[in-house]
Amino acid sequence: MIRYIIRRLLWGALLLIIVVALMFVFFRILPTGNPALLRAGRDPQPGLVKEIEVLLGLNKSLPVQFWDYMKEIFFHFRFGYSYYSQEEVRTLIVERLPATLSLTLGAAVLWLVGGLSVGIISALRRHTLLDRFAMGSALVAISMPEFWFGLVVLFLFADDIGKFKILPGAGTYVGKWFTSLIMPWIVLAAGSAAIFARLMRSSLGEAMSEDYIRTARAKGLPERQVVRHGVRSAINPLVTLFGLEVGVLLGGAILVEAVFNIPGIGRLSYQSIQSSDFPVIQGTVILASLFIILANIAVDIAYAYLDPRVRFS
Amino acid sequence: MRFRRTVLFAAVGALALGLAACGSSESGSSSSSSSNGASVVTPAGYQSSVNESLSGKRGGTLEVLQEADFEHLDPGISYFALDYEVVFATQRPLYSNKPNSNETVADMASGTPEVSADNETVTVHLKEGVDFSPPVNREVTSQDVAYAIERGANPNVANPYIQTYFSAIEGMPQAKGGTIKGIETPNKHEIVLHLTEPKGFFVAEALCLPLTAAVPKEYAEKFDKNKPSNYAAYEVATGPYMLKNNAAGKVLGIGYVPGKSATLVRNPNWSPKTDFRPAYLNEIDIKIGGTQAVIDRQVLEGTNVVQNEPVAQSAVRLAAESYKSQLDLSPGGGNRYITLNSKVGPFTNIDLRKAVWAALDREALDRTRGGDLVSNVATHFIYPTIPGFEQAGGLAGPKGADYNEHPEGDMAVAEKYIKLAGYPSGKYTGTKTVQVVGASSSPEKEDAEIVNQTLKDLGFNTKLTLVEISTMYAKYCNAPKEEIEVCPTVGWIADFADPQTVLKPTFDGEDIVSTGNVNQGQFNDPKVNAAMKAAETTQGKEARAAAWGKIDDELVENAAAIPYDWEKSPRLEGKDVHGVAMLWNEGAWDYSFTSLK
Repeated sequence: MIRYIIRRLLWGALLLIIVVALMFVFFRILPTGNPALLRAGRDPQPGLVKEIEVLLGLNKSLPVQFWDYMKEIFFHFRFGYSYYSQEEVRTLIVERLPATLSLTLGAAVLWLVGGLSVGIISALRRHTLLDRFAMGSALVAISMPEFWFGLVVLFLFADDIGKFKILPGAGTYVGKWFTSLIMPWIVLAAGSAAIFARLMRSSLGEAMSEDYIRTARAKGLPERQVVRHGVRSAINPLVTLFGLEVGVLLGGAILVEAVFNIPGIGRLSYQSIQSSDFPVIQGTVILASLFIILANIAVDIAYAYLDPRVRFS
Repeated sequence: MRFRRTVLFAAVGALALGLAACGSSESGSSSSSSSNGASVVTPAGYQSSVNESLSGKRGGTLEVLQEADFEHLDPGISYFALDYEVVFATQRPLYSNKPNSNETVADMASGTPEVSADNETVTVHLKEGVDFSPPVNREVTSQDVAYAIERGANPNVANPYIQTYFSAIEGMPQAKGGTIKGIETPNKHEIVLHLTEPKGFFVAEALCLPLTAAVPKEYAEKFDKNKPSNYAAYEVATGPYMLKNNAAGKVLGIGYVPGKSATLVRNPNWSPKTDFRPAYLNEIDIKIGGTQAVIDRQVLEGTNVVQNEPVAQSAVRLAAESYKSQLDLSPGGGNRYITLNSKVGPFTNIDLRKAVWAALDREALDRTRGGDLVSNVATHFIYPTIPGFEQAGGLAGPKGADYNEHPEGDMAVAEKYIKLAGYPSGKYTGTKTVQVVGASSSPEKEDAEIVNQTLKDLGFNTKLTLVEISTMYAKYCNAPKEEIEVCPTVGWIADFADPQTVLKPTFDGEDIVSTGNVNQGQFNDPKVNAAMKAAETTQGKEARAAAWGKIDDELVENAAAIPYDWEKSPRLEGKDVHGVAMLWNEGAWDYSFTSLK
């Protein structure tokens, strides 16, 4: 098992290096990507653009820039400074991380509990009115764009602009941590919960028709225990999905963070892309990649733990 | 040439604005907001920076909601309307504007600048008793103003406009942050600028730019040695407000948290006796982030709150219908025009340029931006609020150009010019495919489509490319080597209320550069270039307005580009806020004059 974990970690590290390298190349070759031009004002004088390129280290050759960039990241865990605020990117990310963690983990709990419960009930009550209602609702939840859904709940329930002034609205994250996150959690969890519910329904449906379930019933096990066996088997494919979704969202839930004005990684990433703030873009994308890679490794390890055959394949 | 926010996010090269005639050397100058068209384009019955009352009630905290973050709050770098809201509440340049005027008043200066008869020396006397905020806590001197200008040339600061407006100062072109020969401080309260060219009047006008806001050398020098300078993280104030800081003066992470908030509190060392600003509010809390749709509603239904740009068209409509008293409309949002490449391709032929102008439905272009409430159909380039607007023909535009007379488009006139261009059928029959490059965002996309259809109607084969706005400028329109024939959505905003800042960067053929070129049509007429050179050294507001107004006429006569829109800037305020917008700064809020009811 330990060898397996080491192997996965090494692959993860290699993948991260590749992502970091690709990102450097992408942002340096994009046609819009000369921050010196942006910084030089609207009527950029060639001399000034050159001065700013020197100032930002953009005058160095690409290999030198690449080496400096990799060295700082991997030897010093430094991503540089924002071209605009001059704040250290690491500080910006660390400041934003709690909001993104709060948003993602809260939503993950919601969609896991909600999605699995609905999926299990639907699987066990197949073709009933309840099942049809639950799956119909899931379809609606999957189809709703997060941005639109976010606006709808705000216009309905926010205590400043809502019809029914129940919950704190956008921009209240600082000061009202828990209550301000209730609506974002619901919005962020809705789509994933619906997918989980549908997957769980079909996965559990299949599991419940397996031979070992029939055997368990034949042996006279109580139905609750039979269902528990079925759920343990049916949940395996959802582990992968769960890990990946959490990984992606930890890299920033851009739309939900924007609608609810939550100062998280997603919004930081969005703002930096808009202003070609390379160091911040790089920092946030590396962080997002890191989360996805870590989530993948965690999923692989969980799988290896649940199914020993994986370790040897 | 400050960036307006939408542009700022998007790219180098779009509109940027501001029109403060900073350092008028004519005391009691006669130019008023009405004489430059500001009043005539202000919709009746709405609040506007033109007619705003400047009185208010003292006290309270204003909340500001804005989607975008600031760019640079260092007065030596700042060049963006949104940044200017904070900069002009915390810093005092030599000259500033009252919010309802584009006439400047002495700010750090004690009176109007003295320009020598040969137009080569500018002398400014400073007020006594203006102190820096904590932790510096000492009186501002002329050396602080000199250092503020000198540091702008420091590559670690790299002020974006210093060479554009102050290169006439002796030693400025070679300056790298050290002492500049042409800046003299004979005593603590006098600064003298020695110029190498007779541009004293224009340099004096530019003294309203925040570059001239005093910076204490002994405090800032260590920050300015960093590459890049991080003075903004510790900046001190001279204005009525300061960014909240700690005992060491640190602002970053305290009074300004990037992407999250900025907090302005009263500057304890500010004395109202030395300032024209009333500074009614006790505190300004700026929340950064969110989305336009939510922010607009939060402001319309909220209290103690204002919104910063941009306002969604739907929210402007809603406010106009149901919250009229909370909608502020400021003229002076800059111009928009279509550039036709006059160096290569079919539009080297002036008659084809006139034909497109005649055929174009400029009213339709105006409607894509929200119609008359927020814009006017442009008939020339100097826009309302800028001196020279009336001299260039006012709202109606210059007389005698039949292609400019029908804003709804006139195909008969267009055909006449196509025939004059050598196409007897009245349709363009050349084989060259015309490349039209526009922005993919709304309403720029719609603008580009209207222009593209007009070209097709005239017989042109076109290739329309819609890209992200920053790409449009960086890769296509501002890159002469790409030889783009038509850029349908470009525009400009002045840095201060002098028409030179509108016309020279955009139409002086001698300023065409290989990258970041803002003369997108590469218009290069020796006669116009010579007229601009002469107008640069012209003294006196009226004389300058006349000279540049005449140049504007010539640009229309040459169809240098096709102007189609003069913008107004809508802003929203909460029910109990008496928001005062800055006429000279795109209608952005003036925190020093805004108050709670």
